[in-house]
Amino acid sequence: MTDTYKDSTAPNATPEEREFEFRSHIGSIWTGGRLAIGVATFMYASLAFAYFYLRSSNNSHLWRIPGQLAPLYYGWTILICMLVMAGLGMYGHSRLRKGFTNDFQVAGWTGVAAGLIALFFQIWELVVLPFYPGSSGYASTFVAFVVMNIMTIVFATYWLETAVARSLRLRKELGGTRPELSSAHTARSFRANVSSMSYYLGYVGIISIGFFLMFYVQ
Amino acid sequence: MTISAERPTETAAGTAAPAGPRRVSWTNRPGWMSQHLGTALVLAFLGYLLGHWWGNHIAGNYHYINGASGQNSVADFLALLLMVVGWLVGIGALNYPIAKLFGREAVEEAPAKGMSRYFRYTLDHKVVGMQYVVGTLLFLFTGGLLAMAIRTELLNPTVHIFNPGTYIEIVSEHGTIMMMMATSVVVGPLGNYLVPLMIGSRRMAFPRIEAFSFWIFSAGYMVIFSALFYGGFPTGWTGYAPLQNQAGPGMISYLFGFAVIGMGMIAAGFNIAVTIINYRAPGMTWSRVPMFVWSILATASLLTLATPVLFSAGLFGILDHVVLTSLYVNEHGGSSYLWENLFWFFGHPEVYIMALPGFGIVAEIVPVFTRKPLFAYKVAAAGMMGVALLSFFVWQHHLFQSGINPDMRPLFMLTTELISIPTGFIYLVGMGSLYKSKMRLEIPMLFSLALYFNFLIGGITGVFLSDVPVNVTVHGSFFVLSHFHYTIMGGLIFAFMAGLYYWLPKMTGYMMNKKLGLWHFWTMFIFFNMTFFPMFIIGLLGQPRRVFEYAHGLQGLNDFSSISAFCLGASFLLFFWNLMYSMIINPKKAPANPWDSLGLEWQTANPVPLYNFERIPVIVTEPYRYSEPGAPAYADFGGGGSDGGSSGAVGSSVEE
Repeated sequence: MTDTYKDSTAPNATPEEREFEFRSHIGSIWTGGRLAIGVATFMYASLAFAYFYLRSSNNSHLWRIPGQLAPLYYGWTILICMLVMAGLGMYGHSRLRKGFTNDFQVAGWTGVAAGLIALFFQIWELVVLPFYPGSSGYASTFVAFVVMNIMTIVFATYWLETAVARSLRLRKELGGTRPELSSAHTARSFRANVSSMSYYLGYVGIISIGFFLMFYVQ
Repeated sequence: MTISAERPTETAAGTAAPAGPRRVSWTNRPGWMSQHLGTALVLAFLGYLLGHWWGNHIAGNYHYINGASGQNSVADFLALLLMVVGWLVGIGALNYPIAKLFGREAVEEAPAKGMSRYFRYTLDHKVVGMQYVVGTLLFLFTGGLLAMAIRTELLNPTVHIFNPGTYIEIVSEHGTIMMMMATSVVVGPLGNYLVPLMIGSRRMAFPRIEAFSFWIFSAGYMVIFSALFYGGFPTGWTGYAPLQNQAGPGMISYLFGFAVIGMGMIAAGFNIAVTIINYRAPGMTWSRVPMFVWSILATASLLTLATPVLFSAGLFGILDHVVLTSLYVNEHGGSSYLWENLFWFFGHPEVYIMALPGFGIVAEIVPVFTRKPLFAYKVAAAGMMGVALLSFFVWQHHLFQSGINPDMRPLFMLTTELISIPTGFIYLVGMGSLYKSKMRLEIPMLFSLALYFNFLIGGITGVFLSDVPVNVTVHGSFFVLSHFHYTIMGGLIFAFMAGLYYWLPKMTGYMMNKKLGLWHFWTMFIFFNMTFFPMFIIGLLGQPRRVFEYAHGLQGLNDFSSISAFCLGASFLLFFWNLMYSMIINPKKAPANPWDSLGLEWQTANPVPLYNFERIPVIVTEPYRYSEPGAPAYADFGGGGSDGGSSGAVGSSVEE
């Protein structure tokens, strides 16, 4: 999540108070990560509602013009990139827990690259769409999906990038101690953040499969 | 929990002074070389110009975007988008997210001093709370002025001040501003300021998200207000399609404004919910949480989960206008009902986003002024959460008259009537607390009692409206208008006033003038009822909402309502005068605990120190043990209540 522990405690806090506040902080990261999934779920649920509502209404028989489909190659490319990003983020987290910071960093940077590629193709897909945005209900919901997916990719890639960048800087701040081994609050906070991110990326992976099936499979 | 009560000797009591030198960030740099409201305004203006130029550059030659009016929707939207971005950059909201890209973490910022901190991006929840107070009062004032314009127009059925188009723009803008203000009017000012104090926390969980919520809320206000300069929007606050798709550029301000304020609502709800769940003081089990905090938790849950749907609905509408999708256009495979469903899926929980905090405020105030425990505490808490949960299952009652499948009506009639059960719990908890009590009729208590009176009328008419036959009869009439004004204004705004009179001494350190407060209360209560009660009759006699011409026979009632509305507006001026008089012209220092409350927020020093509590309190008992002399204090400060007092023992100074 976006806020860190560093500036959180009162200067005159006792050690017990610091520990208590720290535990609250770790709990906040846990709760915040799950609540972020809740926010995204309701947003995507509204898109799914729009998809099925328009599909079942089929107003003016224009839910979908026969043969109308978003470019499948783009869809596959974006899906694979998003799954790679999600998978590497989760894999990196599991490696970090086992004490392999370098693995986390390599997986993280590769995941960021995959996210950026997904972002590029997701934007570029709008340029090569074989239909006009308002040509049918399907076309309209697809454009809405693309916009929502761009926001999701940006947020997920940002979270992953900031976690990896933090791991690099953290090592310096900890005087060379590896973040996965340190018991310092800032290192524990970092690990909690990566854990929440990993859950979120898993969620993004599931969502991307679900919506790929909806929009790219006829 | 084993937090030590020992006080470190090297620290100054109550002041929580910084331990060492701190880095000064751009947001707190003194003088012109910093980020503050001024830079936000400048960059917002530049962003607006840039967006307009950019939109015209990329889409100016596409006649199907410009349409017959020649208005370029892309330019209109990009102007507003970059205005918001400029605003956020100017205030400093993006500094930290950008720093994080380079692996940097939060800078330990020296807090800004004096008045200037209220014009900056600040991490102190108390400052954000005060910023919200001013922001929501500005919303209220603007929306109120528009209400006066509406009532002026309705003074005569045939002689008009505005043309029909202008009238509907005023009505729409009034509704939108008021509804968006109302969603944040308690959570923003009182929730942000008081929740950490009431749960014994020194901070919010995510202070940057909290600050973001306020500044994007302000940006949303500017966006919605900008509609007036674009010719307004003709849809009322509900923005129904297909009228939405036929409307001019003001509609983009409406849709984007909703999306922007929606982001602020999500951020505010998210932060507050996480804070309540995780930052409660040791010993504060769920059965010891103050009822106001319960209400804010229920509200925050709704804000976090329901508002994303509003955001999506706004996004779809913007896409329809800007890139010409047809999500809400029946003729091209979309559906106008899609908007109605999405809008009300958010819109009905929104009703409870507005109602629950009001009940939370009065539930906090009533025990203080009756010196009795809150009746059936657990029922009230369950009622709050029950209402929050059920509110997701009632939205289609707004579509009874819009052509939903008739077979669906009984189901949503049932769920709507079901929700009156937990609402009734909450109401009866208030009645139980008042029963056989010796009340102190201070101004906060008067406003609380007024809420129960008003909400009884608003709530019971709501039960009628949930029944399909009545709904069919009075749909779209002044009866509905009166019902929701009784619940929102009669409930929420009266509760907000109760909360302000009750907590402003804590928030500002000064007491509100009692005499002026009494004048304000009685005029507001009387003229509120004189304004809106006749509207039930007007509605039953058939006058529709949002129409500026009406039957001659209804002029008497309308004039009565209008004149009362002007007096009601004047009562708000009394409030603003009281605010200025008590805070600036003739300030009188408030005692540390003027109402003799047991609440945790009153046990800390006045003014509240930067970190709220010198020692984190340990909660040892239930929060409302007023009628038990000798009962243990609510919290143990380890021998060091910040005001030096005994941290809320019962029966101290108030004579019963």
